[in-house]
Amino acid sequence: MVVFGTTFFNFDSFIGKTDTIEVIGKSVFPYCYHSILPLLNDSGRYSLGDARRPLHETAVLVEDVVHTQLINLLQQAAEVSQLRGARVITPEDLLFLMRKDKKKLRRLLKYMFIRDYKSKIVKGIDEDDLLEDKLSGSNNANKRQKIAQDFLNSIDQTGELLAMFEDDEIDEVKQERMERAERQTRIMDSAQYAEFCESRQLSFSKKASKFRDWLDCSSMEIKPNVVAMEILAYLAYETVAQLVDLALLVRQDMVTKAGDPFSHAISATFIQYHNSAESTAACGVEAHSDAIQPCHIREAIRRYSHRIGPLSPFT
Amino acid sequence: MASAPWPERVPRLLAPRLPSYPPPPPTVGLPSMEQEEAYLELYLDQCAAQDGLAPPRSPLFSPVVPYDMYILNASNPDTAFNSNPEVKETSGDFSSVDLSFLPDEVTQENKDQPVISKHETEENSESQSPQSRLPSPSEQDVGLGLNSSSLSNSHSQLHPGDTDSVQPSPEKPNSDSLSLASITPMTPMTPISECCGIVPQLQNIVSTVNLACKLDLKKIALHAKNAEYNPKRFAAVIMRIREPRTTALIFSSGKMVCTGAKSEEQSRLAARKYARVVQKLGFPARFLDFKIQNMVGSCDVRFPIRLEGLVLTHQQFSSYEPELFPGLIYRMVKPRIVLLIFVSGKVVLTGAKERSEIYEAFENIYPILKGFKKA
Repeated sequence: MVVFGTTFFNFDSFIGKTDTIEVIGKSVFPYCYHSILPLLNDSGRYSLGDARRPLHETAVLVEDVVHTQLINLLQQAAEVSQLRGARVITPEDLLFLMRKDKKKLRRLLKYMFIRDYKSKIVKGIDEDDLLEDKLSGSNNANKRQKIAQDFLNSIDQTGELLAMFEDDEIDEVKQERMERAERQTRIMDSAQYAEFCESRQLSFSKKASKFRDWLDCSSMEIKPNVVAMEILAYLAYETVAQLVDLALLVRQDMVTKAGDPFSHAISATFIQYHNSAESTAACGVEAHSDAIQPCHIREAIRRYSHRIGPLSPFT
Repeated sequence: MASAPWPERVPRLLAPRLPSYPPPPPTVGLPSMEQEEAYLELYLDQCAAQDGLAPPRSPLFSPVVPYDMYILNASNPDTAFNSNPEVKETSGDFSSVDLSFLPDEVTQENKDQPVISKHETEENSESQSPQSRLPSPSEQDVGLGLNSSSLSNSHSQLHPGDTDSVQPSPEKPNSDSLSLASITPMTPMTPISECCGIVPQLQNIVSTVNLACKLDLKKIALHAKNAEYNPKRFAAVIMRIREPRTTALIFSSGKMVCTGAKSEEQSRLAARKYARVVQKLGFPARFLDFKIQNMVGSCDVRFPIRLEGLVLTHQQFSSYEPELFPGLIYRMVKPRIVLLIFVSGKVVLTGAKERSEIYEAFENIYPILKGFKKA
């Protein structure tokens, strides 16, 4: 039995090795520039809480982190599939990998349900959609929900996984993101708000083919199917969101507040990365905007490495 | 074939938002499929159109509201609109003309006719005489002759298409409602929202009806025009008609789904037309259990809305995932309607079985949306 959740992701490779990052970044540049990077750069992270003009370096870094995470996830999923003797990576494999982390799993499940629900509603609105759906023959309603429920049913031994379906707890992270968005939007004017909204609508699932290419699973034998790709796109988005969340936390910590008794300790934990001129410049000076710096990201990764990523394995 | 887009009847009674009709497009080229039944249909159309907005424009068409409809529809006395679906079935004229293919409903209506006339006298003092007169001319003109064509021509002037267009113009409603309102025994509804002049427009109605006989889909597909049938893809015939512009899925069990109509009457009329087509192909089609399954309406509040605020304060009802869908999905509990709210201010309401639910839902949401107006 393969042990999942071992440190699949070695963040050390990022700490202090900016040159490596550059190289990786450049190799996928052509894809990113047109698909992922614009997503992350101008808008994606903006909508997740970053500043209006996120830094390019940060974008590259984030993109790299996400990519590595996903590749790892895919590989592990492929292993699971192989165990089963299947020919494609199915959503069940991904659910299986995430079974340890209740919160993330719940968020993923919620996302799948909302997707089902939205298709159901939108379908009823336009008569053409209705026909299309009927013509497609299969009973598509709630298909993702069914997949999830059936699978969790089969692997659940203690009943706690199934309990998640009824679980109505507030997702704190999501709550915080909502509140942050609300705070941000309150002070915007119409034009800014319109732009913000547009950026929020970006997702990896919109440009599925580009995402697929970026992910580059051609080298793998077993490929994910459609629903699995949806989930991967969502997980990528979630990873970016998490990185931004954590980086913001880090940045907040970095600011020494007057009267904070632990200020001396906090600044001590912040490791300065001086390996390249670029990073120094980026970190040392408060950027022209209050965009997230690569150093924030790196620090976040360093501190919270066990929590970032779809498979943050241990509780 | 009646050239006029189908006139709406009862809704206008209580709808102060009576539309100003744009002149209907003259249907020059009749859909060939319907040409054959053109004349018969003419009758149907006239009868139904008679209780339209005619009164102000032509005394000949003071509404003969088939009261039997209202009586029959005792279940929903308060919803004027709901009674409408019955209206089409209509006027005893049906029976007088050779429309024996609809025995069930027709005989029923016939029985009710005498009862109705009483109401006629009671309720409608104004248009009393014209109304009582009305049935006779059409009844006598069985021959679908010039009279029908003239009637239909006048129709075309009177009854343009979208009766659901939102026009909160006070003058029109008054004149019309005067003549029409007294007819119905129902409690008038006020679809105009009190807080704003915005009324949602119906965009799509999905209805089902049971033709109550087994159908040979292949035969239907072969003989009917505008019909497609691909048994490998889907086990139903897809038929379309142009007036009202709708699509129907006809199953071999005899059940039929009709989509695309913009009002209840249109949906019912379209369903009847499809039923007639099937009938003409030799099947003993009936028209049972016509039911509206879903109604979709939309409108524009005309100011941008800050969805992030809305989703935070109404968490238990809303879900907003902009990367999945640009609109906020709001699940209203009472009435049970799903609203799609967009940043631009457009609102789509769906899941209604009755028109009143759409109006009510919008009335409920409007003050909430105003609270999140993006300055």
